Amino acid sequence: MKKLNKYLPYIVLVVLFIWHSVLYAQQQRFPRPEFESGYTFPTHQFLNQRGPMWEFMDVAVLIGALLVTSWLALKKRSRQGLIWMSVFSLAYFGFYREGCICAIGSVQNMSMALFNDSYAMPLPALLFFTIPLLFALFSGRVFCAGVCPLGAIQELTGFRKVRVPQSVERVLAVIPFVYLGLAVLFAATESQFLICRYDPFVGIFRIDAPYTMIIFGSLLLITGIFVNRPYCRYLCPYGVLQNIFSRFSIRHLTISPAECRNCRLCETGCPYDAILQADPATYVEKPAEPKKKSLVYLIAIPVLAAGFALVLYNLAPSLSVVNNNVKLAREIRLEKEQGIKAVSKGAIAFFESGRTEEQLFEKEQQVIARFRKGAPWVGIFLGLSFGIGFFRLTVRNIRTIYEPDRGRCYSCGKCYKFCPVKINN
Amino acid sequence: MKFSEKEVKIFKGISLTAGVFTAVIAITMLFSLIQLKKINPLDNPSVQSVKEQFDMDPENRDKAEQVRAMDLMARKAYFSSRWQVETGSYLLIAGAFVFVLFQRLIEGSEKPSRSLQPGKPDIVSERIRNRRYLVISAGAVILLAVISSFVLRSELPAPGKTSVIKETAGSAPAAADELAVPGDINYPFFRGEGSRGIAGGTGYPTDWNGTEGKNIKWKITLPIPGKSSPVIWGSKLFLTGAGNGECVVYCIDKNTGDILWTGSASGFPGSSAEEPESDAEAGMAVPTSAVTEDKVCAIFGNGNLVCFDHNGKLIWGKNLGVPLSSYGYSASLVAFDKLLLVQYDSQDKISLFGFDLNTGEQKWETPRAGRPVNSSPVLTAFSGQPQLLINGNPNVSAYDPVSGKELWSLPGVSGDVAPSVAVNSKMVFTATDYYKVIALKPGKNGSTVWEDNTFTPDVSSPVASEQFLFVTTGNGDAACYNAETGDTLWTHYFEEPFYASPIICDNKVWMLDRSGIMHIVAAEGTLSVISSSPIGERADCTAAFSEKRIYIRGQANLYCISSD
Repeated sequence: MKKLNKYLPYIVLVVLFIWHSVLYAQQQRFPRPEFESGYTFPTHQFLNQRGPMWEFMDVAVLIGALLVTSWLALKKRSRQGLIWMSVFSLAYFGFYREGCICAIGSVQNMSMALFNDSYAMPLPALLFFTIPLLFALFSGRVFCAGVCPLGAIQELTGFRKVRVPQSVERVLAVIPFVYLGLAVLFAATESQFLICRYDPFVGIFRIDAPYTMIIFGSLLLITGIFVNRPYCRYLCPYGVLQNIFSRFSIRHLTISPAECRNCRLCETGCPYDAILQADPATYVEKPAEPKKKSLVYLIAIPVLAAGFALVLYNLAPSLSVVNNNVKLAREIRLEKEQGIKAVSKGAIAFFESGRTEEQLFEKEQQVIARFRKGAPWVGIFLGLSFGIGFFRLTVRNIRTIYEPDRGRCYSCGKCYKFCPVKINN
Repeated sequence: MKFSEKEVKIFKGISLTAGVFTAVIAITMLFSLIQLKKINPLDNPSVQSVKEQFDMDPENRDKAEQVRAMDLMARKAYFSSRWQVETGSYLLIAGAFVFVLFQRLIEGSEKPSRSLQPGKPDIVSERIRNRRYLVISAGAVILLAVISSFVLRSELPAPGKTSVIKETAGSAPAAADELAVPGDINYPFFRGEGSRGIAGGTGYPTDWNGTEGKNIKWKITLPIPGKSSPVIWGSKLFLTGAGNGECVVYCIDKNTGDILWTGSASGFPGSSAEEPESDAEAGMAVPTSAVTEDKVCAIFGNGNLVCFDHNGKLIWGKNLGVPLSSYGYSASLVAFDKLLLVQYDSQDKISLFGFDLNTGEQKWETPRAGRPVNSSPVLTAFSGQPQLLINGNPNVSAYDPVSGKELWSLPGVSGDVAPSVAVNSKMVFTATDYYKVIALKPGKNGSTVWEDNTFTPDVSSPVASEQFLFVTTGNGDAACYNAETGDTLWTHYFEEPFYASPIICDNKVWMLDRSGIMHIVAAEGTLSVISSSPIGERADCTAAFSEKRIYIRGQANLYCISSD
């Protein structure tokens, strides 16, 4: 029975997958033949839009999954249970809901709603954005542990553990901050939803995506077999918010179910390098960090924020090329000035729309101006992130036990088995 | 959960098989996807070929069936490939599932590798190291941002600039910025500076009468007639004439009408005294001369090409071979830098030559494709690149005036092509009678912007401002088009046909009809006829403008019109 319990998550997933395949097979269509006798094509039938009740059902499932995951991670301390949750989330939010609606992507809806009066954020999207963050405040990154379908697919495929050198880990960990900043800026300027466009796993969930993205997703999964959760660690922009919120969490997963004995057996137990070593006051630092240095780093925080704001302000026009209006204006300008014919679909649509070039160029200027306004804020965010990061590394935190880094821990429970302390219920 | 060694071995075998299976499917799918990207069932060449055959014989029922069958096959093949790829993706995921499942089972049966770490943790050194990594990361982000800001920004407008296009609109043409701006003294080629039909200066008379002598400063009869138009440099005006087996270049004082010298352009090795067969009305002196600061060059219908200094001294002369042309050789000369550019159109050869202005040495020859035409070359510039444009048949082509290399070529007009192209800073306009007026975006990737076949010129060349294109026809019509869109803004019937080309000068369009009446209209999008003034004799040559005086060659006389 115990063996079956271990197998069961995977068997369920295979059954769900086969069901998904059968549904997909119904969609195979042969192209319409050409008729020349009075045949009229039937009116095109559109699928009914998913009703609002179902959207709130998704929210209910999200809350339920978060509650169960919190219980499994914090109270039950069941790694097997968390695997089960990953299977469920992958099946429901991944293959059934095809990766949409998604908390990671909702960052962009939030950004667009905040900076555009004309855009009303759908309530389910707002809830998908806020609820996992609220849970992070209460119980850490339980969303990453077993609810996020992107995390789940990586969790299930990450069965070998290769420790990444700390230098590489620390440098690559900066990318999600930059990615988040750009995604927010692009959404706020109505340019594009960067996160959705380059979601590496949505193509796998939908069995439909540009093949370059499927290759990218597959490569990430193959990498993830050894370097676990590569997307979560080195790309996920929502993970940045989870990281920040989780640092202030009221409760959090612990490595040891009872008192930590500082045996150090768990030191290498986390593939994400998210275990903080004990640093009791009795240790004498050699050499000791001068307090003056901390003060310098504290003062450097606003300086870094200002510096990055300036750099990003300068970068703003270049970033604006992701906007369709700017791209189109550039294409039309090239045609007018250098005779390079504008052939894109956008250009053809523009010529047919009756819009004048002046209107297009005016729009281009408006977009660039919006980037000029928004980009410095992204710079400030990056500068603050770096500055606070520097400052934190100059301050000693006295810890008497080994504990998870609340920001970086995914609450995946992989460390449980490394702790020799057991509780007899 | 623990498995026996035997079970783990079986798991490893299954996992390995699934892994290899997945890898093979993945590689096969990758190739299929790349191949599928290139296929479009509707562009299948076999289907296209049968469809074309069916179009030629639409009543053929067998052919129709064949088209259907082949179309069906092509679609079937395409959708089968798609189905294979899509089914393959399921096999891929299934294989990956099995691989992952058994790998997890293997991993689950392994003991956690707990190990005691030696020594005490060195937290201070770790913090220092981490700070270093953070510095590297911040540096990398800044470096990337700076590089991106330079790389990506190149094609964006400068900050605060509404738009490049908007800035240039309504100002002087870019070509005029980059080539010589039409001045109010020199008028060096057929249709003025660059042969673009734009003249400089203001204050030209608009009212005269050649018969009554009103505003006619002087009038002279040239000993040998011709159809070439006057060109001017400083105080000297140059014209050519041909008749009785003689070709000449006249230098005339533009202020008094005195003939300062007459240069003979006959008797070069290879030249024939006999006129080549051509339209009797045209004669051998149709091409207009080109004048530079110190030289005047002329070409004639027998292929004689000469170059004099401004004092009448022959610098060099040669014969290019008699061009065979139904209407007579007519391409006027232009000069660029140190080169004299000759558009040579004969029934047996069409070429573009570059001759050294000082020595007459041929620097290059660029053979041109198509059929011979009677147009003349036009010098302009687009995006800072000087270009020599030829209204050819069937293409409008641009050449580098220094090397003769073809820069671009776009479909233009066909038939008997006599008009030269019109240009503004953004567009090229080609036209010929019984065909069309076509507006082109110039360049290698250029295209037709608009076309119209209502008002087409016969002999005269159209002329363009930034906003408008003006056309005069062989029926006596004049028309104004919106240069950007091709909308006809106004038309007017002047009764007499036009051979002379219209000139834009002093914000007016000067249109000389074959009866010798100059019709002057505002160079605007609404018709406003300012005046119509006759010289008193028939005229087919294009007028020249210099220092508030207009020079018109009539059938027999040369007129200087001035209100002084």
